[in-house]
Amino acid sequence: MAGVKRYRDGPKPQGRTDVDSPYIPMFENFRAELDEHHDRREKIIKASRDITASSKKIIFALQRIRNLGEKIPTPIIKSKEYSQHTSTIHERFVSVAPDLKGINAYRYQRQISPGIQEFMEAVLFRHYLETQSILSPSEAAKLISENILLPEDDYVLGLFDMTGELMKYAITQMATNGELPASRTGGGGNILTGLQDLRTNLEALDVSGSYGVGRNIEQKMSTTRTSVEKVENAVYSMTVRGKERPKGWNPGMDTSRPVGEVEG
Amino acid sequence: MAASNIDPAIFEHLQAKIDEEGRIKDELKDIIQQLEKQGRVTQSILSRIHNTPTGQLGPAVFQPCEKSILTQIHLVKILSDIASKHPFYKWNNLWTREMQNLIFCLQLRHWLAHQELETIEQVGNELGVPINVKDRDIFHLTIEEYLLALTSTIDELTRLAPNAVTLGDFSRPLQISKFIKDIHAGFQLLNLKNDTLRRRSDGIKYAVKKVEDVVYDLSLRGLLPKQTRSDDTPAEAKGGAGAPASDMDSEVSL
Repeated sequence: MAGVKRYRDGPKPQGRTDVDSPYIPMFENFRAELDEHHDRREKIIKASRDITASSKKIIFALQRIRNLGEKIPTPIIKSKEYSQHTSTIHERFVSVAPDLKGINAYRYQRQISPGIQEFMEAVLFRHYLETQSILSPSEAAKLISENILLPEDDYVLGLFDMTGELMKYAITQMATNGELPASRTGGGGNILTGLQDLRTNLEALDVSGSYGVGRNIEQKMSTTRTSVEKVENAVYSMTVRGKERPKGWNPGMDTSRPVGEVEG
Repeated sequence: MAASNIDPAIFEHLQAKIDEEGRIKDELKDIIQQLEKQGRVTQSILSRIHNTPTGQLGPAVFQPCEKSILTQIHLVKILSDIASKHPFYKWNNLWTREMQNLIFCLQLRHWLAHQELETIEQVGNELGVPINVKDRDIFHLTIEEYLLALTSTIDELTRLAPNAVTLGDFSRPLQISKFIKDIHAGFQLLNLKNDTLRRRSDGIKYAVKKVEDVVYDLSLRGLLPKQTRSDDTPAEAKGGAGAPASDMDSEVSL
């Protein structure tokens, strides 16, 4: 008989067989439904993992940008690493789009959310590096393939995480160039004002009414504050001590490692 | 330093979305709270089954229950109208517990009256709510909710088995034993993952054992109704269902 479950603890209990139960057909139907749901869920979890991993690689590549406020240099865009991961992300979104249609968009939101957040972090980071501005939620949604839903929660959480990348970028650039990243054309301020502005705007959000994002936000906000303060302290040190420092040194840096980084 | 390019409109938009979410959450919580209150009334009426003789279930439990359940059904309609305006799976965690409680009450009431399982379709009809909807984003009952409610129904019947004996109904435990075993067999077919449903259905085997013990106690003392056998063979499955709900023939003063 199809569907007789194997028992972990040994042969089936004696005395009655499953065929006696009049509810077997009903449960077989339920099994089909639940299996379909779990299979879909698994597939989405796998896609989300791949999207997360590839987004992280793209962020890593973007960290090598030299100049703020300019289009990402072609060698980076065309690099195997960058383009490969960009297509992986696109392929995964395309592959799960049918599973996230209609009522399923929210049914599997928790499963796709990590991938979407990391992807948001990557696209927001890239957009900021190129324009020193924040990509709007509607524009960001267009970058996710196939009309997959972008909940505001994932956008905001991705934005929070992006501030951490800005901090790393700022600190690294100051260490290697001895300069605070700012646009060569002068518009848009510098990365510190950008970060401070972001922090102000994020702190102003009242999430007490939110059903979803509220939980994570305290911790993310705290991390963002720390990131901004790290950059503030680094800029202060650079300003105060300026010419005394050896090129490539910055406070808090591990001096056991070689100073300066290999150009990408 | 020049001002940053960061557009405040983005944050105004985000705040507006969060505020809207808060409004929806409040509206839903309000109706769900009313449903919860009424649900307590229904459940407390149903809990009388543990000290009401089977023959008096009608006036003592079913009739008083009817009004409370109808009120709940009315509240569910209101909930459904509000909920259907929003994504089902975004909000269903807010109402799933009360819906499971209501399904449990219906399943229990139906079993007590008919000694059979109320199907998910029948529950849906009673509530006026669609079931297992996949092609539209509207309020509905899910299979998981139905099955979770069923585990609660099993727990309640397991509790009833010894109490029915105390009240003089010696065929009830047999009916319950057969029913729980039939349901257990069904749950064995499912490929459950590590979630709430898995944990709850894992408990069913203990229910089976508990009620078997009651049946065994009765059979040891020759208290089982005459037309059924006490041992657990396929023949019992055919004979057990025939026992009348209020069989007092084997009543023995305890």
